[in-house]
Amino acid sequence: MGRIQLKSVTKSFGDIQVIPPLDLTIEDGEFAVFVGPSGCGKSTLLRMIAGLEDLTSGDIEIDGEIATEVPPAQRGLAMVFQSYALYPHMTVRKNIGFPLRMAKMAQAEIDQRVETAAKSLNLMDYLDRKPADLSGGQRQRVAIGRAIVREPAAFLFDEPLSNLDAALRVGMRLEIGELHERLKTTMIYVTHDQVEAMTMANKIVVLRAGVIEQVGSPLELYHKPRNEFVAGFIGSPKMNLVKGSEAEKHEAATIGIRPEHTDVSMTDGAWKGRVGVAEHLGSDTFIHVHDTGLADMLTVRVNGDISVKHGDTIYLTPQADQIHKFDAQGMRI
Amino acid sequence: MSDRKLPRLLQSPAVILLLIWMLIPLGMTLYFSFIRYVLNNLRRPEWTTPSLSNWRGFGNYEFVLNSKDFLFAIQNSLLIVCSILILTVVLGVLIAVLINKTFPGQGIVRVLLISPFFVMPAVNAVLWINMILDPVLGLQGIAVGSINDMLDTLRNAPLVGWFFSLWPELEPISFRATQTSAYAVIIMVTWQWTPFAVLIFMTSLQSEDQQQKEAAVLDGASIWSQFRFLTLPHLARPIAIVVMIQAIFHLSLYAEIEIVSRGNGNKNLPYLIGEFANNNIGAASATGIFAVILANIVAFFLLRMIGRTLME
Ligand SMILES: Nc1ncnc2c1ncn2[C@@H]1O[C@H](COP(=O)(O)OP(=O)(O)OP(=O)(O)O)[C@@H](O)[C@H]1O
Ligand SMILES: [Mg+2]
Repeated sequence: MGRIQLKSVTKSFGDIQVIPPLDLTIEDGEFAVFVGPSGCGKSTLLRMIAGLEDLTSGDIEIDGEIATEVPPAQRGLAMVFQSYALYPHMTVRKNIGFPLRMAKMAQAEIDQRVETAAKSLNLMDYLDRKPADLSGGQRQRVAIGRAIVREPAAFLFDEPLSNLDAALRVGMRLEIGELHERLKTTMIYVTHDQVEAMTMANKIVVLRAGVIEQVGSPLELYHKPRNEFVAGFIGSPKMNLVKGSEAEKHEAATIGIRPEHTDVSMTDGAWKGRVGVAEHLGSDTFIHVHDTGLADMLTVRVNGDISVKHGDTIYLTPQADQIHKFDAQGMRI
Repeated sequence: MSDRKLPRLLQSPAVILLLIWMLIPLGMTLYFSFIRYVLNNLRRPEWTTPSLSNWRGFGNYEFVLNSKDFLFAIQNSLLIVCSILILTVVLGVLIAVLINKTFPGQGIVRVLLISPFFVMPAVNAVLWINMILDPVLGLQGIAVGSINDMLDTLRNAPLVGWFFSLWPELEPISFRATQTSAYAVIIMVTWQWTPFAVLIFMTSLQSEDQQQKEAAVLDGASIWSQFRFLTLPHLARPIAIVVMIQAIFHLSLYAEIEIVSRGNGNKNLPYLIGEFANNNIGAASATGIFAVILANIVAFFLLRMIGRTLME
C-alpha cells in the first residue's frame, strides 16, 4: 500500500513561502512525476513527504493515516538521492543491507534479501566493492537496491539520473520503469527533464514556483495543456506561441502550435518565413524559421529527409484542429 | 642530459641539505653513544673530549639498560603518551560533534575552545600546578576545603547530622607527589591539546556529506548509529593525523615534567636524557637512540591499529 495525500501543505524558509497551500493525491501503485523548472520546489515537496523537511502547515497522509508527525524512518518510504548518498566506508553489500541492519533483522535474512536485490539489479559481481570503485550507473543501482530491500510503501526519487551520461540515462530510465511494473509500488519521481516525465509517468504534476499548474497523464498534458506554461513545458521541441493579430483571428490572446503539427511547403502556405538553422536528427529534422512576423522564431518538425538550406524561403501552415488557444491570463480557452 | 636528470639535479641541493640536517645529529648521537664521553671527570680527564680512543662498544647501552630509572622512564613515557592520546581524541570528537551544530554564540565558544592551544607549555604547567591542582592554595585545595567545611556544618545539623557523620573527611590530592605527578602532566597536556584535536575534527566534520546523513535517517539509523557508521569512519583519517602528531610531540614532553616534580617519580625518556646529560654524554646519547627506537615502534603500532579499527 502507498497512497499519499497532501492536504493544504505549505512550506516557508524564514519569511519566504516556497510552497503556497497545495493539495495533491497520489494513488497506490502510481508512478507520479513532479516536473518543473529549477527552484520551483520539487525537491522541497519530496523532502517534506519523506519527512526530512518539516511542514510549515497542513498535513500529509499515508494510507489514510496522518503522517505529519511520524519520524522519517517510520513512514515506510525509501528515497534515492541525486548524489546517490551511498555510505563510502561500507561495501556494496553493507550499503544495501544497512536499512535492514538498522531494523535489527537477523543476519541470515539480511544476506538473503541483499542477494535477491543484487541479482535483480545486476550487482552480484560488485557486492564486495566500495562505492568509490563503481561507475555512476552502478552506484545508482546500489542506491536503488538499498531502497528496494526495505520493501517500502513508496519510493521517492530526487533527480536520480541527472548525474549520468545520456546513453546510461535512457537505460536506467527503462530499468526504473521495469522495476515499477514488477513491484507495482507507488513511486514519486522528481525531475526537470520533461522527456523523463513523459516517458515514465502515469501522472505528471507540473509545478511552477510551488504551485501546481496541472496534474494529469502525459498525453492529457500534451493534448490539453491547461495554460501557456504547461503548453511550453511539455513537449519537445517546445510549442510555438504566437500573439497578436494572428491569435485574434482565432479569438484568443495567444495561440500555440506544436512543431510537429505544422505543415511545411516551399511554395505556398499560411505563413511565410526564412529558414535559419536546420537540425537533422536522421528520423526528424527541426527547422528554425525566422522573419515570419509572428514571433522571434518558430520551430517545425518535419520528416528527416527534407533538404532545406539556410536562408531559403519557406511556408508554414498550422493544422487547424491542433491549434491551442489561450486567453489573456494564459489559461486555455 | 635526459629529461629525468635535470629535475633530479635541481632537487639534489635540497635533498642533500635535508639529509645532512638529519644525518649529522643522528650520526653524532650514534658516535657519542659508543664512546666514553663525560663533561667532568677529575680522575680520567681524557674522557672529557670525544675521541675514538675512548671506544666503549655497547657499554653505554648496558649502563643505561641497567640504570634503575630506564624501564620506569619507558613505562612512564608510554603511560603519559597513551593516556593523553585517548583523552584528547575522545574529548576532541565529543566536543567537535557538539559544537558542529549551529547555536547562538558559536563564534565565541569556538575561539574560547581553541585558546588553550596558544598557552606556552611551561606557563600552562605553572598555572595548573600552582593555581588549579595545588592541594592547599589551588582550586582543588579550595574546593576540597569548602566541601569539608560544608560537611562539618551538616554533621552538626539536627536530624540529618548522623547521616553525614558517616562520611569521611575529604583529602586533597597532592599532584607533586611521587605517585601522582604523571597524572598532573596528563591532565594539563590534555587540557592544552584537546583544542588541537577539536580544531582538526571540526574541519573534517564540515566536509561531511549531509545527504548521507539524511539517507541514514530514512534508513532508520539512530543518532548513535549515524555517529558510529558515518561520522566515526569519516573521522578516521583526522584521528590518525591527531594521534600521529601528538605521539611525536608528547614523547618529548619536558617542561611540564620539570615544573611539576623535577622528574621526581615521573620521568620519561627525554627527562632521563636530560639527567644523564648533566655529565654523562655517552649514556645520554645511548638513551637518545633508545628513544628513537621507541618512537618508531609506537608510530608503527599506532598506524596499524588506527588503520584497522576505523577504516572497516
Ligand atoms: N534550506 C533552505 N533554506 C532556504 N531556502 C531554501 C532551502 N531549501 C530550498 N530553498 C528554496 O526553496 C526553493 C525550492 O527549492 P527546491 O530545492 O525544492 O527546488 P527544485 O525544484 O528541487 O530545484 P532543482 O530542479 O534545481 O533541484 C528555491 O527557491 C530554494 O532557494
Ligand atoms: Mg531539486
